[in-house]
Amino acid sequence: MISGEGLGEVKKIITMKDHSKIIKESQEEKNRFFTRRHFLKEASFGFGGLALANLLGGCNFNDSTAASNILFDPANPLLPRSPMFAGKAKSVIYLHMAGAPSQLELFDYKPELMKMDGQDCPQSLLEGKKFAFIRGVPKMLGPQAKFKQHGESGAWISDYLPHLSTIADEVSFLKAVTTDQFNHAPAQLLMHTGSPRLGRPSMGSWVTYGLGTENQNLPGYVVLTSGGRNPDSGKSVWGSGFLPSVYQGVQCRSEGDPVLFIKDPEGMSRNLRKASIDAINKANQQEYEEYNDPEILSRISQYEMAYRMQIAAPETMNINDEPAYIHEMYGTQPGKACFANNVLLARKLVEKGVRFVQLFDWGWDSHGTSEDGSLSCSRCSKIAKQKKNISHVYT
Amino acid sequence: MRIKRSNKVIVIITLLLMIGVAWYFFLRPQDKIDFNTQVKPIFNKKCISCHGGVRQKAGFSLLFRTEALAPTESGKPAIIPGNAAGSELIKRITANDPDERMPYKHDPLSKEEISVLKKWINQGAEWGDHWAYVSVKETAVPDAIEEGWNKNGIDNFVLQQLNEIELTHSPQADKNVLLRRASLDLIGIPPSENLSKQFLNDKSDRAYENLIDSLLSNKHFGEKWTSMWLDLARYADTKGYEHDATRKIWRYRDWLINAFNKDMPYHEFLTEQLAGDLMPDADEDKLIATAFHRNSMCNDEGGTDPEEFRTASVIDRVNTTWEALMGTTFACVQCHAHPYDPFKHDEYYKFMAFFNNARDENTEFDYPLLRHFSDSATEKLSELVSWLKINADEKRINEIEKFIKTWQPSYNSVVFDEFVNTELGDGRRVMLRNKSVSRLKNVELSNKNHFIFRYDAFVNNGKLEIHIDKPDGPLLSSIRLDKGKPGLKITGNDFVSPQGVHDLFFTYTTTAALKEKDEDCAMIEWIHFTQKFPGEGKPGYAEMKKRFWDLLQLQMPTTPVMMDNPDDMFRPTNVFERGNWLVKGDEVNADVPKSLNPFPNAAPRNRLGMAMWLTAKENPLTARTMVNRVWEQLFGMGLAETLEDMGTQGIQPVHKDLLDWLSWRFMHENKWSMKKLIRDIMMSATYMQQSNVNELLIEKDPTNKFYARGPRVRLSAEQIRDQSLAVSGLLSNKMFGEPVMPWQPKGIWLSPWNYEDWKISKGEDQYRRAIYTFWKRTAAYPSMLSFDGVAREACQARRIRTNTPLQALVTLNDSVYLEAANYFAIKLLKEDAGNINTILKKAYATAMLHEADEKSLAALNNLYQTALKNYTNNKEETAKLLANNENKKPEAAALTLVVNAIFNLDEFVMKN
Repeated sequence: MISGEGLGEVKKIITMKDHSKIIKESQEEKNRFFTRRHFLKEASFGFGGLALANLLGGCNFNDSTAASNILFDPANPLLPRSPMFAGKAKSVIYLHMAGAPSQLELFDYKPELMKMDGQDCPQSLLEGKKFAFIRGVPKMLGPQAKFKQHGESGAWISDYLPHLSTIADEVSFLKAVTTDQFNHAPAQLLMHTGSPRLGRPSMGSWVTYGLGTENQNLPGYVVLTSGGRNPDSGKSVWGSGFLPSVYQGVQCRSEGDPVLFIKDPEGMSRNLRKASIDAINKANQQEYEEYNDPEILSRISQYEMAYRMQIAAPETMNINDEPAYIHEMYGTQPGKACFANNVLLARKLVEKGVRFVQLFDWGWDSHGTSEDGSLSCSRCSKIAKQKKNISHVYT
Repeated sequence: MRIKRSNKVIVIITLLLMIGVAWYFFLRPQDKIDFNTQVKPIFNKKCISCHGGVRQKAGFSLLFRTEALAPTESGKPAIIPGNAAGSELIKRITANDPDERMPYKHDPLSKEEISVLKKWINQGAEWGDHWAYVSVKETAVPDAIEEGWNKNGIDNFVLQQLNEIELTHSPQADKNVLLRRASLDLIGIPPSENLSKQFLNDKSDRAYENLIDSLLSNKHFGEKWTSMWLDLARYADTKGYEHDATRKIWRYRDWLINAFNKDMPYHEFLTEQLAGDLMPDADEDKLIATAFHRNSMCNDEGGTDPEEFRTASVIDRVNTTWEALMGTTFACVQCHAHPYDPFKHDEYYKFMAFFNNARDENTEFDYPLLRHFSDSATEKLSELVSWLKINADEKRINEIEKFIKTWQPSYNSVVFDEFVNTELGDGRRVMLRNKSVSRLKNVELSNKNHFIFRYDAFVNNGKLEIHIDKPDGPLLSSIRLDKGKPGLKITGNDFVSPQGVHDLFFTYTTTAALKEKDEDCAMIEWIHFTQKFPGEGKPGYAEMKKRFWDLLQLQMPTTPVMMDNPDDMFRPTNVFERGNWLVKGDEVNADVPKSLNPFPNAAPRNRLGMAMWLTAKENPLTARTMVNRVWEQLFGMGLAETLEDMGTQGIQPVHKDLLDWLSWRFMHENKWSMKKLIRDIMMSATYMQQSNVNELLIEKDPTNKFYARGPRVRLSAEQIRDQSLAVSGLLSNKMFGEPVMPWQPKGIWLSPWNYEDWKISKGEDQYRRAIYTFWKRTAAYPSMLSFDGVAREACQARRIRTNTPLQALVTLNDSVYLEAANYFAIKLLKEDAGNINTILKKAYATAMLHEADEKSLAALNNLYQTALKNYTNNKEETAKLLANNENKKPEAAALTLVVNAIFNLDEFVMKN
C-alpha cells in the first residue's frame, strides 16, 4: 500500500491487486496454521501451556464470538492467529510518502484542471475554508507532469512514475478517499489510526493484535523511516493507542542497532551472552519450581527468543550480502538510512514472516516555490528514483 | 372391577404426586427475576446493538425503562408489563418466520433466555440500576472467619468466596518476601538497609505494621503513587502533535508527590485538581493543581483551526474526568446516547459545559499561565498590593493581582476572526501588515478605559488604531509601535469608554520602507481591557505604576493552569450533532447526568460545583473507582478488572461487596484518606499471603480473582528501572524539579520543525527516579515504553502488562542496566575481599532480600567462572566492557556480567 497525507482535498491510496497466487498461498498457510494449532492444542502442557491452551481454545473457526473474546494472551501476545475470514494477503508493506507527492501529478489525471491552469481559483473552492500559507485568491495549477494511459487497464499515470507505469496492471488505484485534514500531522494520524487526533491504535497495531505474526524471532510490526526525520505526527502513527503497547510498531533502523537494545554490550561475546542467558534461565527454572507460576515459563521462553532475535534481526536487516543485481534493481546503498534500503528490507522482512512493515519517507512536501519544494521540478528526480524501488517490491 | 388395597395406595400416591408436580409448575410463587444479573446481560448481548443508544430500530430501545415500555413505530409498546404472552418482544423472539424472528439474522435466544424474559415481563418488567450507578451503601462484613487467619474485614469477604469455590487461602509469606513486596508497593523501590534490618530484627507482633507505617511516611511514597497518577493525568513534558515542543508543567508532578506524601484527602485531592482556581482560598498551589486538566495536548501547527483543537482539549478533559475519576466510558456519549449505559447524548454536552468556559484556547504559549514569582519579585508585588489597599477597592486589587500573576483575562490573538490584507500568522498571532485590518468581535467595553497588549514590532513608525464597529468607525485609541528591544513586549493605552459591547477593528499603517507589500510589520499576541491604574495623584502613584509595568514584563517560569472566562467573555456550549463539533445543536447549560446522584443544591454551576458533585458521598463512582485502582496497584488487577469501565460492559467484579465495603469505609470512616485505604488493604491477611501457585489454583482461579494467594505481578516500567539503580547504589535521592534526560540511544528524537535535542543530564540527574524522566509524547523514553509505559497522549486508566523478548533486550543491553550492574559489581569487589561465593551470595541477597538457593547460586557461579576465564584470556573485551572504569580487572568484568544476569532474573522483575 502506498499513501501520502496530501495537502489537497483528495487523498489517494494505491493497493496491490489481488493475485490468485496470494489466495492460494493464504489457503495453504491457513491449513498449515490449522494443523500446527491443532497439534499445539493437543500438546498444550508444560511450557506456557496453560496460557496457550486458553488462547487456542478461543480460536475456533466455527465460533467467531469466542475467537473475538480472547484475542490477546499477555504471555504470548504475538503468536500467529488465524483471521475470522480467510484473507487474501498474509502480510502488509505500507509505504507512506510523508508530506505527500500530489496525486494530481502521479496517477489522478484531471484534464479539467489542466484547462484552468493559471486562472484564479474559483470562489466555490475557497468559501468558508481556511488554508495554511495561502493569501488572497491563489491561482490554479494544472498537472506539471505528462499523463499517458498504461497497460491493459488503461490507467492514467504520469511520466513522473516511469517504473510504476510498467506495472500498471499490477496495482489498484483507490481514488475514493477524502479528508478534511489539510495539515501533515493530523492527516497522517487520520491515515494511520483513523482519527486526526492522538490516542488510537495504528493500522499495524490492529493487524498484529488481530493476527499476531509468523516469525517469533522478529518483531511483528516493523517500522522503517528514511528522509532524516520522523513523520510530522511522530511515533504516534505507529503507536498502539489504547491497545497494549506490545502492539506498537518496532522501529528498526538502518543505522546503529537495527532494533533498539538488540546489540550486546561492547565487550560481551555471543558465547558469554549465551552463557548468561543459560544462567538466567536456570535460575528462573528454580524460581518456577518454587512458585509454579506459568508466567516464569514464558519469561524463560522470551529470553530464548530474545537471544534468537539478536541473531535473526541483524541478519535480516543486513543487506550487504545481497547480490549485485538486487542492489542495482533497488538502487540500494548499504550502510545508509535511505528509502531504497528500506524498501528492500521490507521485502526481506515479509519474506521472513513479519506481518506488517510500515515505511515512512520524509520530505515529500511539495507545495512551496523553493528549489526543493516546488512541484514543477525538484521532486521529479526523487519520484523517479524512488518509484523504481517501489515497483520492485510489489513484483 | 375391584382395586386391591395396595393398588389404591399407589393410585393415591400417584395422584398426590401429580398434584404436587402441577402445583410446582403452575402454582408455586415464581422466583423473582433480577434485572441486572439475568435480564440486562441478555439485552446487552443480543438486543442492544440494534435497540439501544446508538440505533433504535423500529423505534424500540432497551436502554431506559421508559423507552422500552413506550409505543414503538408500530404504535404499540413491545413490552406489556405483566403480560408476556401479549408482548410483541416475546412474540418476536419466539417467532418461526425468519423475517419476523429476533435477533434478526442471528441465532435465536436459548430456551432459558426466553423463559427468563417471559418471567421478567410477567413479574412486571421491573428495571434495575446497574450496581456501579447506585450510591455506595454500608455493607456488612460477612461472618466467614478462620481462627487465626483473618486480620481485617477484607479477609472475611475473601474467605467467604473462597469457601464457596472450595479453595483455601495460602499461608502467610515469609518476612523477607513481605518486606520487598510492601516496599515496592509503597515507595516503588526496595527498602533501605536500615529499614530492612529494623523489620527483620523486630520480633514483635507489630513488626509488619511498623514496617507499613514507616513506609507510608517515607518521602518516596509520593513518587511511587504519583507515577500511577501521571498516566491518568496524561502528564507529559511536551505539548503533543506535530511540533511536540516542550511544555513546562512539572510543578504539577511535584504537587502530586507532595499531595500523596501529606495524604491529602482524596476528595480535596480531586477538587483542587478539577477546580483549585475556583476555590475561595485559591493559592499558588491550588492553581498548580489545576494543571491536571492542562495536560491535554495543544496543536499550534500552522493552518490548523485553533477552535478545533480547543474543542478537542475540552472533550479530552470531559473524557479524562470520567475515565480516570469515575471509571466510565463517557466518550461514547459524544456521538450518541451511550450504547449500554444510562447516559443520554445531550448529557455529554451538559457536562462539557463545565469545562467549555475555560480560558484555554489552544495557543502556542499554552495560556493561561501561572507566572512563578521569585522571592524578590514576590516582595515587590506585596508592596504594590499594600499600596493598592490604600488606593483601590478590593475588586480592583484582586483584578490587578490576578493580571500580574497570569496576564488574564485577555483576548488571545486566535479569536480575531476577520482580516483584510493579513491573517493569523506563525504561532497564530495577529500579523499587522501595512494597511491591514483585523477584527475582534463582541468586546464588553462598559466601564473600561484602558487596554494592555503583548506585541512585537519588526519595523519602526507603525501606527495601530482601534476603531469601533467598522474599520473606519469611531477611533477608540491609537498607539505608535516601534521595534524597541527584541522580543515580545507589553504596552497599553487609555481610551474613553463607548459603553456596551462592540466589535473592534484593528488597523495598522506604517511609513517604514518595506521590502514587500505584505511584509509582517508587527504582531499582537493578546489584549486585555481594563481600567486605568488606580490612585492617580496619590503619593507613590508614579513609582507603583512603574512597578506594575515592571512586574508585568518580568520574565519568569510559568505553569499552564485552568481558569474560567469572566462573565463578559462567557462561552456558551452546544450539543454537537453526531459528535461533529462543526454541527452545533441546542445550547445547553452545565449539568450532570440524571441517572447519577443529583447536583448538590448549594453548589455553583461551574467546575467547582462539578467537583463537589463528583466528590459527594452519594456519587456512586468516585470512591469505587479509586478503591478499585488502589487495589489494582497492590494486586495487579482491580476488583473490577476494567478500571476504565465499571458500567454494564465492564468485567463484573467477583468481590463487588468488598469493593463497596472498602468504598464506604474510604469515604465515611477513613475520611478519604488514601494512606489509610492502602494500609487497610496491606494489613489484610489476603495481601500477606504467599504468592506461590499450584495446579489447583491454576485450574480454579488462574488469574487470582478469588485471592487464594498473594499478588505476583511484574513490576512497572518505572519500578524496574528504579530498582536496578537502587540496588546498585546509583539511584539519586534528589526529589522534584525540572525533568531530566538520562541516557537513551541516539536518534530517538527526530520531530520535524522542532529543533530540541535530548541532552544527556549531568551528574546524579542521570540516575534519578524514572518519574523525573523527560516525557516526550511522540517519542517517549524507549526502555520504559518496552515495559508497557504509555505515550500519555490521552488518559490511560490501566497499563496492560505484556511479556516480550524486547523487554529482555532492554534489561540485558540498555546501558542504564549495564552501568548499574557495573557500578554494583565494582562496589561489591571493593567492599568484600572474600571468595567469589560470598560475593555472589551478597549480590543476590541485596537484590532479592533473601539468600540464593543452591542451584541458582551454582548457575551464577558457573557463569562467573566462564566469564572470568573469557576475560582473563581476552584483555580487549575486558577493556571494552569496563570502558568507563578505572578497574580493568577481569574479575570486575565477570562480576558485572553476573550482576547483569541477576538484574534479569524473573524474581527481580516480579513482585513475589
